[in-house]
Amino acid sequence: MMPFSAESPSKQQCLIDAVSATANLIEVRGLEKRFRTRSGEIVQALSDVNLDIGENEFVSVVGPSGCGKTTLLRILAGLEQASDGAALVAGETIAEPRPDVAVVFQQATLLPWNTVLDNVLLPVQLRGERSRASMDRATALLSFMGLGEFTKKYPFELSGGMQQRVAICRALMRDPKILLMDEPFGALDAMTRERLNLELMRLWSEEKKTVIFITHSIPEAVLLGDRVVVMSPRPGRISAIVPVDIPRPRSLKTMSLPRFGVLCDEIRSMFGAELQAAFSL
Amino acid sequence: MKIPLAISGHRLQSLVLIVVLLALWEIACKVFSIPSLILPAPGAIALRFDSLITTGTVWPHLLATLTAVVSGFVAGTGAGFVLGALLSISPAVERLVYPYVVAFQTVPKIAIAPLFIIWFGYGVASKIVITALVCFFPVLVSVMAGFHSTDRDQLDMMKSFGATRWQTLMRLRLPSAMVVIFSGLEIAAVLAVIGAVVGEFVGAQQGLGYLITALNFSLDVPGVFAVLIFLSLIGMLLHGAVRACSKRFVFWIQREGTHLAL
Repeated sequence: MMPFSAESPSKQQCLIDAVSATANLIEVRGLEKRFRTRSGEIVQALSDVNLDIGENEFVSVVGPSGCGKTTLLRILAGLEQASDGAALVAGETIAEPRPDVAVVFQQATLLPWNTVLDNVLLPVQLRGERSRASMDRATALLSFMGLGEFTKKYPFELSGGMQQRVAICRALMRDPKILLMDEPFGALDAMTRERLNLELMRLWSEEKKTVIFITHSIPEAVLLGDRVVVMSPRPGRISAIVPVDIPRPRSLKTMSLPRFGVLCDEIRSMFGAELQAAFSL
Repeated sequence: MKIPLAISGHRLQSLVLIVVLLALWEIACKVFSIPSLILPAPGAIALRFDSLITTGTVWPHLLATLTAVVSGFVAGTGAGFVLGALLSISPAVERLVYPYVVAFQTVPKIAIAPLFIIWFGYGVASKIVITALVCFFPVLVSVMAGFHSTDRDQLDMMKSFGATRWQTLMRLRLPSAMVVIFSGLEIAAVLAVIGAVVGEFVGAQQGLGYLITALNFSLDVPGVFAVLIFLSLIGMLLHGAVRACSKRFVFWIQREGTHLAL
């Protein structure tokens, strides 16, 4: 589809390149992940996970705690290795964190001793490519997220929602193809969360990215996603993939559409009764 | 900003408290006619403090102790920092060496002070070594604890942006560690005075510790108390300097009310 491999390290495994060059940006094939706990027993975190994600697609992943959704994201981020099967980006096996993939964690993970601007510039500084252009991009991203006046502030001077916005700007700094978001708004209050959902949609319509968005919240997953991947625990696996056939642009009003409620109910019914209780909203 | 006001309020209360306590002390000495050999009145101590300064008796001793405290503190904390950082960077070396570090730390350094007098003589050198040794361990331990205290999510974040080991060390692990390291430095600042004085107790020709022994011997108890004031001043000065640095270097930590329990 696209010459994605152009900027990825050549040392990476390219065996499957020929097959998948025409397929999806992200491919997960028969992915397995096993952990050994402290007591020595083996836990199956992911079992036979298969997933294809196209370019510029927004995929929500929803599931209860322990369903392996964070593990899946960590493997895609190159922070964790698969025990079996394959996870590919642009046809290449993910062996380490890739420059064209950026992660937004549940915690903002900003460096407290750096200003907001320096935090956003971190990814370019780590690669020694700080320049006038990168300064401009950082400032533009921050203004886009409504943080134009806060560039010289320190993270502890910002609210939780603002910190998470800075983290999103930082992730976008080097213009990655893929944005992996691990419950990025999970620690925020409901109002801030809704506002950030809207901002994320606005951002996504401006800067087309492939987004994998992990969440606990079914309405959030439906509101944001083109598709909702439903995962279930023990062992972590994909139990369904639900396409969200609600047209964009979406807003908070979308949540009062009958179709929205139907989709949420459909997803909710996929979990057992005891798990439903775990989902708020 | 309400915080500075609150502090000045607390300071004022502390000041009032000490004035009241000193007055009670003075009155108690008068009323119960306590001999100054056992407990001198604050007034008598103040007079002796003044005479130590005006006669110039105290200066060579103060200078000797100050030299030992500052040089020992700098040498001990410097060595503690370097070794701590080296051990933290290399987990293999840490596993090898750390048990011995802990074992040696449990040796009461004060108890081996006489050995240092034998090895380094009666001069200021032995005091510097004892002070350095006393300052070394709290800093070493705090450096290692500091490097281990790095947030796991932050480490993942650095890794996800392709940071090298060196970049992670300099941009994340070291700054995170500074918070803990400064509490080690605060402990070391207080211990430094103890180290120097103990060295001077054991064997010296100069220094405030030596002066205390001499004054004690001539039963000049108000003089002993007066020297204690000088020692506290050195300790407070060093501790204050460390705190000032920590406020500047780890400014992102709200330290109000988190005073070190010693």
